[in-house]
Amino acid sequence: MNRDGRRRADRAGKGGRGLSRNAGSDVKAAYLFISPAIIGFTVFVVYPLVRSFYLALTKYNGLSDPVFVGLGNFRRLFTVDPAFWPSLRATGYLVLLYVPLSLAIGLALAVFCNQRFAGVRIVRTLAYLPVVLPAVATITLWKFILNPQVGLANTILAKLHLPTSDWLQSPAMSMPSIVIVMLWGVGGTMIIFLAALQAVPNELYEAARVDGAGPYSVFFRITLPMISPIMLLQVILQTTAALQTFNQPKILTNGGPGFSTNVLMLSIYNNGFSNLGRIPQLGYASAQVWVLFIVIIAVIALTAKFSSLWTYSDNTPD
Amino acid sequence: MTALFICSVMVVPLLWMITIGLKSGTAVFEVPPRLLPREFQWSNFVNGPEAIRFPRLLLNSTIITLLSVLGGVMTAMMAGYALARLRFPGRKVWFYLFVGSMLLPGVVGLIPLFQLYKSIGWYDTWLPLIVPAFFGGNPLFIFLARQYFMAIPYSIDEAAKIDGAGHLRIFVSVMLPLTRPAWITMAILAFQASWNDFLNPLVYLYSADKWPLSVGMAQFVSPFAGQTPNWSYYMATNLLYMLPPLIIFFAAQRYFIQGLGSLGSTTQK
Amino acid sequence: MKRIIGTSLACAGLLTATACGGSDSGDKADGPVTVTVMTWESPETNTAIKKALEGFKDDQIKVQLIDTPSGGYGDKLASLTQAKKLPDLFWCGNDTEQQYTSQGLLVDWSKKIEGGDGDFTADKFVGSAMENWKTGDGQMGGLPSLMNTYGVWYNADAFKAAGIPEPKAGWSWDDMYSAAGKLANKGGVKYGLVADQLTGADGPFTMSMYSVSADGAPFTDNVNHPTKAEIDGKYTEGVEKLAAAIKSGAVAPPGYDASNVPALFSGGKVPMMFGGQWLAAGFQTDKPKIKYGFAPFPQVNKPTTLYDSVGICTPQYTADEDATYKVLEYINTKVWDAVLPAAPVAPPAYTPAQESYFNALTKAGQNTVVDTVKADLAAEKTVGVRFTTQWASQVVDLTTAYWQPILNGKKPTSDLQTYVGKINDLIKSQG
Repeated sequence: MNRDGRRRADRAGKGGRGLSRNAGSDVKAAYLFISPAIIGFTVFVVYPLVRSFYLALTKYNGLSDPVFVGLGNFRRLFTVDPAFWPSLRATGYLVLLYVPLSLAIGLALAVFCNQRFAGVRIVRTLAYLPVVLPAVATITLWKFILNPQVGLANTILAKLHLPTSDWLQSPAMSMPSIVIVMLWGVGGTMIIFLAALQAVPNELYEAARVDGAGPYSVFFRITLPMISPIMLLQVILQTTAALQTFNQPKILTNGGPGFSTNVLMLSIYNNGFSNLGRIPQLGYASAQVWVLFIVIIAVIALTAKFSSLWTYSDNTPD
Repeated sequence: MTALFICSVMVVPLLWMITIGLKSGTAVFEVPPRLLPREFQWSNFVNGPEAIRFPRLLLNSTIITLLSVLGGVMTAMMAGYALARLRFPGRKVWFYLFVGSMLLPGVVGLIPLFQLYKSIGWYDTWLPLIVPAFFGGNPLFIFLARQYFMAIPYSIDEAAKIDGAGHLRIFVSVMLPLTRPAWITMAILAFQASWNDFLNPLVYLYSADKWPLSVGMAQFVSPFAGQTPNWSYYMATNLLYMLPPLIIFFAAQRYFIQGLGSLGSTTQK
Repeated sequence: MKRIIGTSLACAGLLTATACGGSDSGDKADGPVTVTVMTWESPETNTAIKKALEGFKDDQIKVQLIDTPSGGYGDKLASLTQAKKLPDLFWCGNDTEQQYTSQGLLVDWSKKIEGGDGDFTADKFVGSAMENWKTGDGQMGGLPSLMNTYGVWYNADAFKAAGIPEPKAGWSWDDMYSAAGKLANKGGVKYGLVADQLTGADGPFTMSMYSVSADGAPFTDNVNHPTKAEIDGKYTEGVEKLAAAIKSGAVAPPGYDASNVPALFSGGKVPMMFGGQWLAAGFQTDKPKIKYGFAPFPQVNKPTTLYDSVGICTPQYTADEDATYKVLEYINTKVWDAVLPAAPVAPPAYTPAQESYFNALTKAGQNTVVDTVKADLAAEKTVGVRFTTQWASQVVDLTTAYWQPILNGKKPTSDLQTYVGKINDLIKSQG
């Protein structure tokens, strides 16, 4: 209780009570409130950016000092390393599969749960349930479900006389399997879309009904445009998240079979935090980090640039 | 009909997990697998956790998570309040910087921060997992906080100031209760993020007794010297690991949906 | 609200203090020196080792076994190395020892062991192990402790049911592939042979056995200090046979998840698997339902086997070198006698201690294991298991890019020469 007491006295000294909005104290207070975040920004955003860029130009094993090698890491990355291009391919494949599917399924689920019927609350809760659970727990559970010999997936498929698959061990199905596991958590996307849907003013729907519009028309002409800002946000968030996927490939396949699931994050981890007594290659891993970073920035910039084409806003920009 | 399908897809894997948790070690590998175990080995729920020293890991996870949640929510609310309600130079700039840092992939920080923590002696302590939260570690929360604060009319501020309250008093007694959905949502999200965090503890901690549950669980499934993991122990322990976030979610569901809702609606402003 | 914040911050401070303080306290007092030991053995074996270490009687030295989850050993080792907190004695592979020694991270025991006292001398160890643990300039960052021998575990019941003679010393690669073909796709079994060692990252080295046995050239001349990698006609023949067997579905393809295979083998779902002799210890506790045996690798003309050894290393910053060496000696000589009978993981590299291992196996009725291990240790032709150099992980990437697609039939066998060319480039540029 000391702090605000002092402030009260301060104010009293400065010219009486009842004077709100003293500009000076506002600024002081503001910076006080915001200072942890500013410190965080400097230490956890600016410093890593600068340092990792420096490291990307060195050969560094974490134990002795970094050795400057200029663009040597990048040269090795783009020309010599047999794992780099496949990792870009794997990452791209994951993003292409996951992002559209998660948005589409999330939106569909949200539309479904936006209706009023008995038990909608339960469906909504259950759909969100997988998101609440710890990732490591669910991912390893799925690893077991997708086990070709003793897993639940093949057991059920076999009972229904449908073709079974090797899932994570087949080069063709490994990435789709990972995407399936990731999609199990689509409840997160659903909740956000649900909130967006519920914010669409009802008068629009009523007006449309009066005009005699059918459900498809309503959806495409009213609902989608109204939630397009959220859609934009989701596209960006989901894409950047997908580009940085680590947990699933690490636990489910560790990059195999072949390079089919060796996404860039996994490659960075394996190079930077080597295992079983191997010497880590932190400089090389930092170079890979910067490649990923640039890809992410590019994706965001492109998406944002084209967003004005398809998003709808009827308000003045902030 | 669709509802049933959705529910089953979401729930069946969990039921399967319970089944495996109840089977005995060798029964897990029967081909073709049986959906219900032949005998119910409840002891898995005791032996499994014991194998990885569950109580100690649980304590670790709880402490780390509670502290991160506290730090994360506190600093985000503080920053959001300042950005939303106080007029000061640079307020827009800082907001854009913070939100922009959301786009920074966490991976860029991984290696430099690892080296940094090593050089200041924080390696193999919980500090790298907790301290960043106290420094506005999650810009999404700052965004959320600001959105919520902006929706509160200034008249409340004025009224409190007339009563002679300083900024801190206003913040604590007036703003926080009003924005309850926001910080409850943040708390839940922060809780999940910390409870489930795997990569960071894996990188920063090597003493087994400092590990949180997420890393401890992974012990089960990294076989060495050709020993197959004990799946029944693992699934049984998994279930216990999942309980806390589940309970918290069910308890605070209402606020949570409301809070996330603000993310959906206010961006349209 | 404030009180809550206050108390939590206080708790936080307290707890982080404890979390910080934890592992740091080293005994720098005048009292006995503590020597820390870290292994990757299973919890049961660790308990036995702990008990055996209690037999180490010395007033000035206290031995402490550090707990390690057997699964996370690799991560833990990497972390400890970075933090410069490695225990005084830690289990390590040959590649770890080679790399760390060349970086100056380990203590050099070579003088101590060569001019050793009493029975603990270099010549009492298995010769090839000693040689392989020396770096290019004769340093030894650790001592070998246990030998790894490899072979083929087979399901004797399945062979009998299919009417095929059991694998035994002298059998050929063609015998093995044809047996795999006959046993595949029957009675809940998919593949007749799971040979992760042939299809995985170490595959090219394992295949070297074929060419050496056929009087061809080995894949590389030395896994520790290679000067070249080579693939000749005999080697290519071996690869083609394997690719054909994979195509026919007799052998599991690259990418097959081998982590569950020992359990599947015990359950009779995998009739043959490549594996090390350490599985015998696991089988002794798990008691599989099937009758099983362990046979040496097949050959072409001469018996050839993979050779590998693991050992114990010591970091440069160990508190007391002499004390550490004493404990090291004790482990290599006496501890195995106490531990192996209950858990016969491997034959010790220190020959006089091998008795207890073989006796334990014979007592448990694992005669095929005894025969095979003895044959392997005596084999005249051996090939290394993998490169132990700094750039070895880059070879793994190349293997994934070439070896595995070639086996899957996605790339032609002629690409083997491209593969070898790239490895030779690596050797020349030293990574």
